[in-house]
Amino acid sequence: MLIKTRNLTKHFPMGIGQTLHAVDGISIEIDENEIMGLVGESGSGKSTFGKTLTGLLQRTSGDAWFRGEALPHKFTAEDHLKYSREMQMIFQDPYSSLNPRMTVLDVIGEGLFIQGRHTRAQIRDQVAMWLERVGLNADHMSRYPHEFSGGQRQRIGIARAMIIEPKFVVCDEPISALDVSVQAQVINLLNDLKQSMGLTMLFIAHDLSMVRYVSDKMSVMYLGALAESGPSNEVFFDPQHPYTRLLIEANPEPDPRIERGRPFAPIRGEITSPVNIGAGCRFADRCPSVMDRCRTETPADISISDTRKVACHLFD
Amino acid sequence: MAEATTDPYLPTATDFSPAVTEESIEQLARPSLSYWQDAWRRLKKNTRAIISLYIIVGLALFTLAGPLVWQVDPALQDLNQISQPPALPRDAVVVETYARWPGVVIEDFPIEPDEYVDSVPAPENVRVVEAPSTQRVRLVWDPVTGAGGYNVYRNQRAPHSINDLGLPLGGTMAGNEVSFEDRLSLEQRVYYYSVVPTDGFDEFDTWTTIEVTPLLSITRADAVARGLIAEDSEVSDGDKIKLEFHPLGTDYLGRDMLARLMEGARISLFIGICAPFLYVLFGILYGGFAGYFGGQFDQLLMRFADFVVALPFLLFMILFKIAFGIGPGESGIIPMLIALVLLGWPATARLVRGQVLQIREQGYIQAARLLGGKHHYLVIRHIIPNTMGVILVTLTFSVPTAIFTEAFLSFIGMGVAPPTPSWGSMCNEGVKTMLSHPHELVFPAMFISITVLAFNLLGDGLTEALDSRMRSRE
Amino acid sequence: MTEHLLQVTDLEVEFSTYGGDVKAVRGVSFHVDPGETLAIVGESGCGKSVTVQSLMGIIPMPPGRITGGSALLRGKEILGLPPRQANRFRGVEVGMIFQDPMTSLNPTMTIGDQISETLMVHRNVSYREASRRAVELLERTRIPEAKNRARQYPFEFSGGMLQRAMIAQSLACSPSILIADEPTTALDVTIQSQILELMSELKRAENMSIILITHDLAVVARMADRVAVMYAGQIVESGTVDEIFYESAHPYTLGLKDAMPSNREQRDKNLMPILGSPPDLFDPPKGCSYYARCPFAMQVCKPKMPPRFTFDSDHSHYARCWLQHDDAPHEERLFQQGKRDVD
Repeated sequence: MLIKTRNLTKHFPMGIGQTLHAVDGISIEIDENEIMGLVGESGSGKSTFGKTLTGLLQRTSGDAWFRGEALPHKFTAEDHLKYSREMQMIFQDPYSSLNPRMTVLDVIGEGLFIQGRHTRAQIRDQVAMWLERVGLNADHMSRYPHEFSGGQRQRIGIARAMIIEPKFVVCDEPISALDVSVQAQVINLLNDLKQSMGLTMLFIAHDLSMVRYVSDKMSVMYLGALAESGPSNEVFFDPQHPYTRLLIEANPEPDPRIERGRPFAPIRGEITSPVNIGAGCRFADRCPSVMDRCRTETPADISISDTRKVACHLFD
Repeated sequence: MAEATTDPYLPTATDFSPAVTEESIEQLARPSLSYWQDAWRRLKKNTRAIISLYIIVGLALFTLAGPLVWQVDPALQDLNQISQPPALPRDAVVVETYARWPGVVIEDFPIEPDEYVDSVPAPENVRVVEAPSTQRVRLVWDPVTGAGGYNVYRNQRAPHSINDLGLPLGGTMAGNEVSFEDRLSLEQRVYYYSVVPTDGFDEFDTWTTIEVTPLLSITRADAVARGLIAEDSEVSDGDKIKLEFHPLGTDYLGRDMLARLMEGARISLFIGICAPFLYVLFGILYGGFAGYFGGQFDQLLMRFADFVVALPFLLFMILFKIAFGIGPGESGIIPMLIALVLLGWPATARLVRGQVLQIREQGYIQAARLLGGKHHYLVIRHIIPNTMGVILVTLTFSVPTAIFTEAFLSFIGMGVAPPTPSWGSMCNEGVKTMLSHPHELVFPAMFISITVLAFNLLGDGLTEALDSRMRSRE
Repeated sequence: MTEHLLQVTDLEVEFSTYGGDVKAVRGVSFHVDPGETLAIVGESGCGKSVTVQSLMGIIPMPPGRITGGSALLRGKEILGLPPRQANRFRGVEVGMIFQDPMTSLNPTMTIGDQISETLMVHRNVSYREASRRAVELLERTRIPEAKNRARQYPFEFSGGMLQRAMIAQSLACSPSILIADEPTTALDVTIQSQILELMSELKRAENMSIILITHDLAVVARMADRVAVMYAGQIVESGTVDEIFYESAHPYTLGLKDAMPSNREQRDKNLMPILGSPPDLFDPPKGCSYYARCPFAMQVCKPKMPPRFTFDSDHSHYARCWLQHDDAPHEERLFQQGKRDVD
């Protein structure tokens, strides 16, 4: 097991008496060379989870381990340097995640530069190699990020994270800002890297079909807590939690015949505010099969098979 | 069958053989531009900003290189040319050194009238003796029977009544003293001299006016002393020589306006550039720290900045002057600089803090943190380069504000003190002669306005050129 | 040819940039009939938004300018209208909703007032009447507690609710066409589902036409009657939604479909990305704009712009691709009329 968290929690204070429960007690396990998908609506805390895991955000409580070694509670710059060859991150916005004042050479070579063990020429060679590897032209090394398209920029971001050959990468919605045709390029690139480098990934996205396609395991997050987790295909084709079921029903498909036959029954209401969440199931307000105890009692993770867990009172 | 609606081209069979397309994948068609190159490109398109830039460069040359070209002492008084409007170099007649003039007294005429009369005729034959020059004008007239003295008036236009004779120059206290010498700041222009007989105490209501145009004059000794002619030159009295050239005229003390404007520009631009530079620098450090470390520290620092904003500038300026022991009428450049710096930084600090807070959340900072970048690395490599645009704009907008503050303080007499010129103090001096010699106010005021406008337009241009929102991918 | 509700012919739009002109829209023609949904699909930068924005007269000029073509709404030209007439036609004849409703609503006015204002300007009704109708409109877009919500400001609305409010506002004058520019791209799946359902329902109830701009084929499959696929400023394929999905005649349409994961197969087929990036319209290719990325590229494609090959008598299904030429080789996965019979 490469990554393990137990009750990882991240709260943001919001002034007097207000707390934003962004991530509320998430426990996951990711095996080596496995892609774990994390799906959820915006505001469900999935990005916050990724950033807390890599130490960009300081966790409020809970534990996290990397290869059985406990990750520090608060990451200092030295900790980040120490773990930089282990954990990296790919960001959602291909525009704000590359420094507009730096050339592509400096952007991609940054990791090697910070580690300070390489000469300028070595960095240059490595960057050229990685540019080619992510499908870009090595001659464009001296250009600036704004001259590239979104998909090209995202690949530059991937090269920056990969050049120091980390073991584990958090992909924070790496494709949601990209066009369909380009999404596939990035997904295939990530898949290639997984195979060739033995990468382990946490793949955060809101596109169910894509997460199902990319990942081995899938976790569905709702308002800071996990609703359901298990092998991707099982969760996708046989959803158990009422939220997962509704989410998959609402997921449109690129096939007019299926769409015409689809009963229109969109999920009611909208995701509520994660501020000052009390006891009870977080999904109770929108749940079609809500019971009385859902409003008072927080459901625990219930194992419904060796590999699957559901947090719902229906399975008690 | 598929049918083409428009088919101007009839392909051949070879056209349909497969093609290799690899070469053109992932090519970038447009020329590469860095952030600053791109900003410069957009600034160049902004005509107003470029003109302003030229003006500012011109101004810098004017201030720094100007005194090398125009080597005139700004404190030197040219008493021959006081409050002269801008003009080409003038001719002056060389006259002999001033010698006392005893005046004309008619011996056989009574000093006092034998008997007091109600009215006397107007003086006759009022005339100028010896050529009138700006050195002196000498008037002589025929005695008037019944007069016990004469008053002499000078006006710049023809008088129309006895109440309109102009400036009372003086007069004589005896009926037989029939001459007057005028040496009161004469200029080369038309004067109307009026002579009014008196009974020794009160004026009669008759007068005579003559028109006199004194010639611009200089003594030989003066001309030699001021370097207008060589000591051994053959110029003699009555010859004409060129006087000093004052392209922008002179002020009320005969000092060269151009030289004073150059000297004043030094003071104004020194304050205008030093003060913003210092307080923007401080603001960057302060705001940068607040924004970068955030949290309670940020709150504390920013509340202190709010406190500083609430302090009244003028009061502080006065307090500093007192604290430095600078009395009224003494130069207060240093206290002004200190007051500007101490009270000017919060605006920049707030702006930089906002920027840093925003940049701190950008993906590239987070990526650099994950790569193990230390604080100083993040600041130097990522944060500072990305705030440079805003800082440059702030600096550009701060300069005119500081110039204006300096000018205002000097104008109300709180800044530089005479004889040091600054544009503000020159305005202050010029405003006194605004109606008669407008150029003394217009030139410094124009310099202030143009400088302030140029910096503001440049700032606008820079804002536009550096604004990342305008950097759409087009 | 029967008269269409909206007929756009050979629309061309250019933008001036530092290096020269970018030809954002290069001869786009399409039509919309009453009560139908036309989806314009394409990647960002393909000119789909510019196309509808120029119809609405809301592209910034300069740097943009319409260099050619016509757009007839019920037979009346709507391109290049003077601002007063353009304002009348916007909102009354054609309503528009955007990807980001927050930027197109005034943050300092209540939602109700913004809708009533539209009514007061275009329909000349009293404030009371307009406010009453505004609440009705909000109710029709399924906003709960519409009366109270009308008194709230945009920032008090969530993304989905804002999009509903935008739809309510654009419906105020019962437009015959609703242009929806990526209406659900910023929304979550569940909210997207709600908004799409609302739009279909309103379309049926009002017999309104919808022009749906999107990059998401799944949304197209759900909403569209007809589809126009745009690439690099041109419509490369157009047809009914079934023709586009099941008889794709252009390699780009095929590429888009292959690039999306399918949900129905337990065993995964590989995602087939479209390699490379769209051409820079700063310097558009002389021939087919898809040439550089096309897996079926032929010699003719680079120098010669393919004409429109139509497949049926009413010219509704067409593709701009040399593979549709009679002499072109057969491609298994591509719909090529006539070829099937030959094999």
